[in-house]
Amino acid sequence: MGLREYISDISEAVVTIAKGMRITWKYGVDPKEETTIFYPEERMVMPERTRGFLFNDVARCIVCNMCVKQCPIDCITLESIKGADKKNVLTSYKIDMGRCMHCGLCVEICPPKSLVHTDGYEGSSHTREELIVEFVEDDLATIKARIAAHAAELAKAAKAAEAAGKAPAAPANPAGGEKK
Amino acid sequence: MEPVAATVYPNYDSVGRAILEAFPIIDFLPVWLVALVIMVVVAACAIVFILVFEGVGSLVLRKLAGDIQSRVGPNRVGPYGCIQFLADGVKLILKEDLKPAACDRVLFRLAPYLAFVGSCAGLVVIPFAVGMIAADLDIGIYYVMAVSSLVSIGILLGGWASNNKWSLVGAMRGAAQIVSFEIPVAMSIIPVILVAGSLSTQEIVRSQGGLFGIFNWNLFHNPFLFFSFFVYLTAAQAETCQTPFDLPECESELVQGFMTEYSGIRFGYFFLGEFGELFVVCALATAGYLGGWHIPFLDAGNLGWFWGNLLSLGVFLTKTFTLVLVSMWLRWTLPRTRVDQLMRMCWKYLVPLTFFNLLGVSLWLLIFDGKGIPAMIAALFG
Amino acid sequence: MTEPISKEALRTDEWTINMGPHHPSTHGVLRLELTTDGEIVSKARPSLGYLHRGLEKIGERVAWAQFMPFTDRLDYLAGMNCNCAYAWAVEKLAGIEIPERAEWIRVLVCELNRISSHLVAWGSFCADMGAFTPLLYGIREREWVNDLFEMVCGQRLTYNYARIGGVSHDLPPGFLEKTKEFCDYFEPLIDEYNRLITYNKILVHRLKNIGVISARDAIEWGLSGPNLRGSGFAYDIRRAEPYSVYPKLDFNVVVGHADRGTLGDCFDRYLVRIDEMRESVKIVRQVIDRIPDGPVMAKVPRVFKPPAGECYFRAESPRGETGFYLISDGGTNAYRLKIRTGSYMAMNIFEKISKGVMISDIVALIGSFDIILPETDR
Repeated sequence: MGLREYISDISEAVVTIAKGMRITWKYGVDPKEETTIFYPEERMVMPERTRGFLFNDVARCIVCNMCVKQCPIDCITLESIKGADKKNVLTSYKIDMGRCMHCGLCVEICPPKSLVHTDGYEGSSHTREELIVEFVEDDLATIKARIAAHAAELAKAAKAAEAAGKAPAAPANPAGGEKK
Repeated sequence: MEPVAATVYPNYDSVGRAILEAFPIIDFLPVWLVALVIMVVVAACAIVFILVFEGVGSLVLRKLAGDIQSRVGPNRVGPYGCIQFLADGVKLILKEDLKPAACDRVLFRLAPYLAFVGSCAGLVVIPFAVGMIAADLDIGIYYVMAVSSLVSIGILLGGWASNNKWSLVGAMRGAAQIVSFEIPVAMSIIPVILVAGSLSTQEIVRSQGGLFGIFNWNLFHNPFLFFSFFVYLTAAQAETCQTPFDLPECESELVQGFMTEYSGIRFGYFFLGEFGELFVVCALATAGYLGGWHIPFLDAGNLGWFWGNLLSLGVFLTKTFTLVLVSMWLRWTLPRTRVDQLMRMCWKYLVPLTFFNLLGVSLWLLIFDGKGIPAMIAALFG
Repeated sequence: MTEPISKEALRTDEWTINMGPHHPSTHGVLRLELTTDGEIVSKARPSLGYLHRGLEKIGERVAWAQFMPFTDRLDYLAGMNCNCAYAWAVEKLAGIEIPERAEWIRVLVCELNRISSHLVAWGSFCADMGAFTPLLYGIREREWVNDLFEMVCGQRLTYNYARIGGVSHDLPPGFLEKTKEFCDYFEPLIDEYNRLITYNKILVHRLKNIGVISARDAIEWGLSGPNLRGSGFAYDIRRAEPYSVYPKLDFNVVVGHADRGTLGDCFDRYLVRIDEMRESVKIVRQVIDRIPDGPVMAKVPRVFKPPAGECYFRAESPRGETGFYLISDGGTNAYRLKIRTGSYMAMNIFEKISKGVMISDIVALIGSFDIILPETDR
């Protein structure tokens, strides 16, 4: 190792270290460089397409079962019974948020677009059971009673129509339950 | 020697006499008891100081990291996170103290204390202010060099007793590194001793006082000393195992080095010891090269007991903390060297440089009769 | 005179150190069995499989379109590249022609993702080398890309953006302007990174002449991507086997050129990644200028059944060749789905080049290959 190499080694080390330190100094003294968002107090504005938690508007759901079939990890389960007007009525619509990977395939395929992504992302819980979200609020008995009432109404309307000699006009299906 | 130390430094015996007059009971107590009380009080002061320094230092370190890395750093405990270090301390004390099943129990417990004591014992000879020094030993520098070697024993013991291969690798690295870098550190502080003509730290600081303000500092005494200062800083950075020479810990290679198996307050001792050592080397650099507690253009000795001590303490701490900040700044900028490169740097670059400096300073003192460049310039203008 | 100490008396034993699966710098759950003599490693045997999730088997179970979200989990730092590679592979198998705009969009997001992936590779490499700050800078710039991707597909990491026959959404309004803004912001930063750390003496000395792979070795051991180009062999699938709209684009294939030390060392692989970010910015700018209008999704039947047959499609991902080998029996899901990834191939040569290096260099080697364990173990 010659003397020139020796000295250039030292000077190169000093110069490159000084260059690096200038950059860290630049960021160190500039308070505007902070990029942190103070999360609980400030929140990011979520873009329109954010794929947050799923939400199913059960009043609009047509119980087509497409989402269940499309889900790659089978986190959606639904149960339904036959309604008065031969349409299926949801009795249970569950999404296991602990398994859901927010891929959005179910939302894309949903024919009435009742299944949507919200922009929610805060959903921790102490147990896994809490992560299974049920979207149908009414219990089975209420839904059955409602279907029976609807059936009776339909029968009444049909009788009235028969009496009037007109075609029966079906009232809107109320069995979907109220919106959440 | 240059007659700059012409001012008469006040004799603080008067303070002791005043205390004696205020509390005459002291006269009747046995001498050993009085000595013991004084020792305990001074030691308590030193411990409290070093704990506060380490707490605040760790907070500053993290805040500085936040600033440099475009983030905020600790900001939840207290306004701007200013009492984060208290929370850290409480956490360290309350955490479970894990011991590996197959560790050497005695050595495992002993190691953190050795590391901590080794780093803090250096405080004894740090000249904080004009009249503030725990013991003005006439072998001050020598003493610091000696006790700071305890740290390497602590590291080696900790790594060995953990019964963990990563710890052992870290400990071996640490021992080799600290022992090697003692040489350039010592060799680069010797020029200062030559200039001051004393090993006592207080004497070294006194020799830098005078009328030219900061130009009385040893830093500007002659070119060799100027250079020697930077060699000392580099070597000290390595001796205290700071980045870019933090090979014994080296979290990306050795998990946490010799501290891998430590948790809770035992980890805390190592951590505190590291900070203590950082403070000691920076304080030595201040005392040796940056004029110590000398207030520029003002004589601390003439300011009276209270103001003289307070101002000179402030000056000393400001200089030391600046050096500590520079060390932290380096830490957040540089990558880490490899262990063979570290040794190469020590033996092929730093050690020859320090010898060269030593030779240069000796020749300078011989040729120019101990005068520094500022003194010679002053002599030119009368 | 003392007796000369015999060599036998000075003999030391080798020991075996277990590096990983939980180790700060094995980039996940890589496990290395190191046989070392003190600091000198005599053998480093990678032991893989700690993150095996059976992705190929899942691919045979779920329908063709449903496998798309799983490709995000292959290489989580470059989800778009895996998405698009799978989509291109299935389209090749089924002979689907996708709209022009969709191709351009795919190239755009792939190159953006290459930038973000290389940023993390660079940052974590520097963190392995002991400099923590570059990691944070890399993550800071990556947030820009993540924000862009969140605009376009709604997720920041697991994009699931490509579809068989196109992409799921068209670009949102304002996306191209923001991408341009990012390019303007990012391009000068690459020089800043070089000043900050690339040519830092300590880093250069840590990386040069370490882990030298000759071009011949690299080819023989099946390396691809930046790891192969770092050895000085200009093989880029975007040029060698052009797909999509890459033939219409102007960019250079970055190769290592022994900037410091030997050709094919860690420093060359490092520099290739830095320079590739520049080239990607160049591609992104061209795409912004030339992207055509039109639909983004071809007509694909809802129950998608490609004809029976097989195909292999390879794409250039940030970690080398990402290849999908698909066999279809005409059904709704794959008969066999085989994935070839760059990281896995890089692990093969590890044992060969890690002889005689130090423990610190093992970390440099892992970092220089830029491996992603989900991709290695699948």
